[in-house]
Amino acid sequence: MQSKQYSLKVYETTVGEEEKFLSFFEANHILFKDHLIILRGEVSDRIRAYLTSKSLHFLENVTLPEGRPRRELAKELALEKTKQEVKEKMLQSELSKLTNRLENNLTVLDKMIRSGQELSIEGDLLLLNRVNSGATLSITGNLIITQVVEGAIRCSGQFMLLTASPKANIIFHGLEINNSYLEDKLNRVELKNNEVVITPVLKKDINWA
Amino acid sequence: MGIVIAVISGKGGVGKTTAVANVGLGIAQQGKRCIVLDFDIGQRNLDMILGLENRVVYDMIHVMDGDASLQQALIRSKVDNNLYFLAASQSKDKSVLDSEKIEKLVRNLKKEFDFVILDAPAGIESGYEHTIEFADKAIVVVNPEVSSIRDSDRAIGILDSKSQRVKEGKEVGKYLIINRIVPEMVRSGQMLRSEDILDILDIKLLGKVPEDRGVIDASNQGKPVILNKDSLAGAAYKRIASRLCGEDIKMVDIESEGGGLFKKLTGMFK
Ligand SMILES: Nc1ncnc2c1ncn2[C@@H]1O[C@H](COP(=O)(O)OP(=O)(O)O)[C@@H](O)[C@H]1O
Ligand SMILES: [Mg+2]
Repeated sequence: MQSKQYSLKVYETTVGEEEKFLSFFEANHILFKDHLIILRGEVSDRIRAYLTSKSLHFLENVTLPEGRPRRELAKELALEKTKQEVKEKMLQSELSKLTNRLENNLTVLDKMIRSGQELSIEGDLLLLNRVNSGATLSITGNLIITQVVEGAIRCSGQFMLLTASPKANIIFHGLEINNSYLEDKLNRVELKNNEVVITPVLKKDINWA
Repeated sequence: MGIVIAVISGKGGVGKTTAVANVGLGIAQQGKRCIVLDFDIGQRNLDMILGLENRVVYDMIHVMDGDASLQQALIRSKVDNNLYFLAASQSKDKSVLDSEKIEKLVRNLKKEFDFVILDAPAGIESGYEHTIEFADKAIVVVNPEVSSIRDSDRAIGILDSKSQRVKEGKEVGKYLIINRIVPEMVRSGQMLRSEDILDILDIKLLGKVPEDRGVIDASNQGKPVILNKDSLAGAAYKRIASRLCGEDIKMVDIESEGGGLFKKLTGMFK
């Protein structure tokens, strides 16, 4: 015996007035292309012929095994959402302690990224060495670099912490960062309400002369 | 068993061949057996700088293909009995370089010589990866210019990923020669300082060689500048050769006026 198992979308509807039913399907039949349509009530030959002409699949007055009740599903989704919200709130509260926010899949590297090298990192990166001119560093998470950057950075995490890097080419969430904003000894670049905000963390050395 | 040193750079014209000829001769003068090989098929001129261009009969490809023995192909320097030379392929076809053949040649030379020095093509050339593949150490030659540094950085990156030693989990020792330093220009801030170059490349400094017109004269005559007792560049190559032979020679601060005294004094007031 050969058998296969499928999960597919089912659209269940009761045929009331024939005209209304037909005009609804005339407008929406595209949406049900990949569905199995279960029809309840009186099904006329006209309706059958129409659905067949649109290559739709349908069954009449059959009872299907019950799927997972909708309410349960909705509850689960709501729970997931609150979890996400709590997580985000916690993340926000950690805002002041930047290193604590390096939390998803952290990579720590003490390796010079040389010209011509392209390094892609999934998650967060703490880099204790330089990014030389001609090198490219792409990272999906947060980024802290303790040495000067002269190459290219592509970062789409929540924040970056960078030293003054006048020769760097830094793209944060698709936006090019003007290097003159990164003049301080240590600079924090972050996305707040869809805006890039740059704040000095450590000011430049005070020159008494 | 000798060691294999590839002399590399990012772009051409920075002084690799000059360094190979002078350092090779310097090592030979210290009583070590040394062979220099020209791997730069595109710009082979090591023979000229050593004054051996008319003596080439067989080249490296003849040896690799078994058409000539090493004894037949090696050319002994007129200046020093310890120095030998093996010429680059005379054919233009660069694809003749084959990893297995190179490895075999290098392995045989290591048995006979204390130092096997390879004059590599520039890092951007196709033959570069072959030349560095079986090197134990690399000498990186740069000029104090941003573009030279950046290209060398790239060549080092390739070395760190393609060399046989790295693939075996070992390291390739990397040493830096900063060539054609003009002290006045460094002092006036027009030329990169050695410290800045070392910051970027992060490898050990082997020596600093000043700009010296004597180098060009010497090359034209086929007598490496190290033979010229009055040449500052010659003295710098001599120190480099001694360091490679294991001597602890102090780094000379060629950038400052008065041989380093000036800098030491100002350093005290910092
Ligand atoms: N220290 C130096 N001072 C002056 N000229 C130099 C010096 N080093 C190299 N040169 C000159 O630079 C040119 C390129 O040197 P070469 O050794 O052929 O470079 P490469 O092998 O890297 O292409 C040559 O004309 C050489 O004479
Ligand atoms: Mg050359």
